[in-house]
Amino acid sequence: MTIKDSGYRFVISALILLSLVSIYPLVYVLYLSLHRRLLIFDISRFVGLENYLFLLKDDRFWNALKNTVYFTVVSVSMELFLGLSIAMLLNRTFMFKGIVRALVLIPWAIPTVVSARMWEWMYNTDFGILNYMLGAKINWLGSPFWAMNAAIFMDVWKTTPFVAILLMAGLHVIPQDIYHAARVDGAENLAIFRKITLPLLKPVILVVLIFRTLDAFRVFDAVYVLTGGGPANTTETLSIYAYKTLFQTLQFGYGSALSVVIFLCIGSISIFYIRLLSRGIKQ
Amino acid sequence: MSLQRHLLPVLILPLFLPFISGCIQEKGRQEGKETVIIFKHGKIAGDPEPFRQLLDRFEKENPGIKVNDETLPASTDEQHQFYAINLEGRSSDFDVLSMDVIWVPEFARAGWLMDLGHLIQEGERDEFFPGPMHAVTYNEKIYAIPWYIDAGLLYYRKDILDKYGFLPPKIWDELVHQAKTITKNESDLYGFIWQGKQYEGLVCNVLEYFWSNGGDVIRGREIVVNSIENVTALRLMRDLIVTYAVTPPLVTTAIEEPTRHIFGNGRAIFMRNWPYAWNIFEREGSPVKGKVGISTLPSFPGKESASTLGGWQLGINRYSRHPDAAERLIRFLTSYEAQKTFALTIGYKPTRKSLYRDRDLMKEQPFITGLYDVFMKARPRPVTPYYMMVTQVMQPEFSAALSGIKTPEEALSSVQRQIEHIMGVAR
Repeated sequence: MTIKDSGYRFVISALILLSLVSIYPLVYVLYLSLHRRLLIFDISRFVGLENYLFLLKDDRFWNALKNTVYFTVVSVSMELFLGLSIAMLLNRTFMFKGIVRALVLIPWAIPTVVSARMWEWMYNTDFGILNYMLGAKINWLGSPFWAMNAAIFMDVWKTTPFVAILLMAGLHVIPQDIYHAARVDGAENLAIFRKITLPLLKPVILVVLIFRTLDAFRVFDAVYVLTGGGPANTTETLSIYAYKTLFQTLQFGYGSALSVVIFLCIGSISIFYIRLLSRGIKQ
Repeated sequence: MSLQRHLLPVLILPLFLPFISGCIQEKGRQEGKETVIIFKHGKIAGDPEPFRQLLDRFEKENPGIKVNDETLPASTDEQHQFYAINLEGRSSDFDVLSMDVIWVPEFARAGWLMDLGHLIQEGERDEFFPGPMHAVTYNEKIYAIPWYIDAGLLYYRKDILDKYGFLPPKIWDELVHQAKTITKNESDLYGFIWQGKQYEGLVCNVLEYFWSNGGDVIRGREIVVNSIENVTALRLMRDLIVTYAVTPPLVTTAIEEPTRHIFGNGRAIFMRNWPYAWNIFEREGSPVKGKVGISTLPSFPGKESASTLGGWQLGINRYSRHPDAAERLIRFLTSYEAQKTFALTIGYKPTRKSLYRDRDLMKEQPFITGLYDVFMKARPRPVTPYYMMVTQVMQPEFSAALSGIKTPEEALSSVQRQIEHIMGVAR
């Protein structure tokens, strides 16, 4: 028996386990999405693509998609920018470096629901510390303009440390010799950053982007606790809409169609990133 | 489809067989001596001890029956989800369930509840408040027994109204006038606060304005939400914030607790809330202790005041193995005596009208017995199995009207269209 043969046996047992816990539910969701299935009315019948066609006309779906994309683009780019800055700063040697690094991680360590509750009180118009410090009466979570941005701000606060830590690890493996050589050649700080740090950090940045984009696209708990999707659905993301359809109104067919669409979006985002990543490695 | 659906359990069943047979044996042994019924309910406020004592009393009076009460997660959404998933899976893991007032028709329509009509005789129905009785009746059958009741109230600051010589407002215009006059002279005081975040509580608030102007959402089989009465009512809510400026914009994110905080710190003249807030205001050290009054909510001129009904009902799981024992428990918990104990020890409001004339209760809990008029006027939210879908439509539209994204006309005509669509499609 060769090593290759025994390898298959391990892979197959893993495959069986995976198909039980992840492929079976996935197939079942696809199957459900082709049905009209309303638990309360004991209705369950095949309707083909009707759920998907209705989805195309469903304003609430397009609104949720728009919100989700806005949330993802803004939060991920801010997290990357801030995370990179923090990583660069923390990568220098200074006193209490270990302690500071640990402190930075605190927001990431708090469970999302807990920090969302915290922020809900901080955003409170009347007693919130934010308005107290600003000396203003901004209705953070109640105005259509601020609500989504307030949710994004909380997400940035929470996940920037995660981004920073990953990028710090990436910075760590860049050999110092290259920097020395660049300095000897008389390169400017900005040039060093652009020509050395960024290209060598690219694989790590892509990994960070994959993680964060997928997470942000599925965002649920933070927004759900902060605003519940309001005011007037201006903060309703796809996951919140799917949750409400599935578990509050018990429309399993349509809710499954929504979930499939979320899955397809996330799938294409991942493929796009993985392509980028493998191209980067080949170079 | 059933093949696919059942394939997985069949495949993994052998793995669990030893455990399952173990459980069955265990149960069998217990049943030889006594019946164990499982009672699922939300968290009981305050000290859990009096409630357990009540159950102990039931066990003593009914030898051979043991009650295991199991608490569900605090949020009602999660409780609804728990019941929906388990009952859809025909679980017989629990026998008696407590239900929010809006779920009964839905669960009844799904066939998850037993018909409990025989537990309340025809003549006994008048014993209970009309609102909850309406809410537990679906297709002329009774599927649950009202356990305790809740309803929206107007809280006001007695001391401040007295100072200005005002009586508690009976109509909305009066409330606006009083709030405006007072806030002009007093600093750091809000006029009128209520709950306007996009959630179930917003619907409770809005319906009180609709009803107090003679409007409604569904009447019989007709959808009547897009009416002049309702447009006027919804516009008043927006005007409270914008035109009259007696309600701060913060209500568009407020749920019960933040408004209770503001009022409890003496920072508002009027507040719409549920009865639970009273005990907190009357606690030792509360800034508003002894200064708070309550009344029914105002109405539009010449119309009836109304408040939204809340509260919980007890029903029996259709798949229960011990329906007889479960019935006895429900009969016991909704009896005069048990409701009295419940009101005296925990402060939950009884659903039987006669208790509001009970001497002990009038002496010990005068606040509760004083709520009689409010509970008589309490109305259930639309009693329909579609309710959970209907509220999902109403919440964002009402929220849009309050935050000025849509006019009341636009919001209500959109609600009308969407509800018609839901009810048309589901049939």
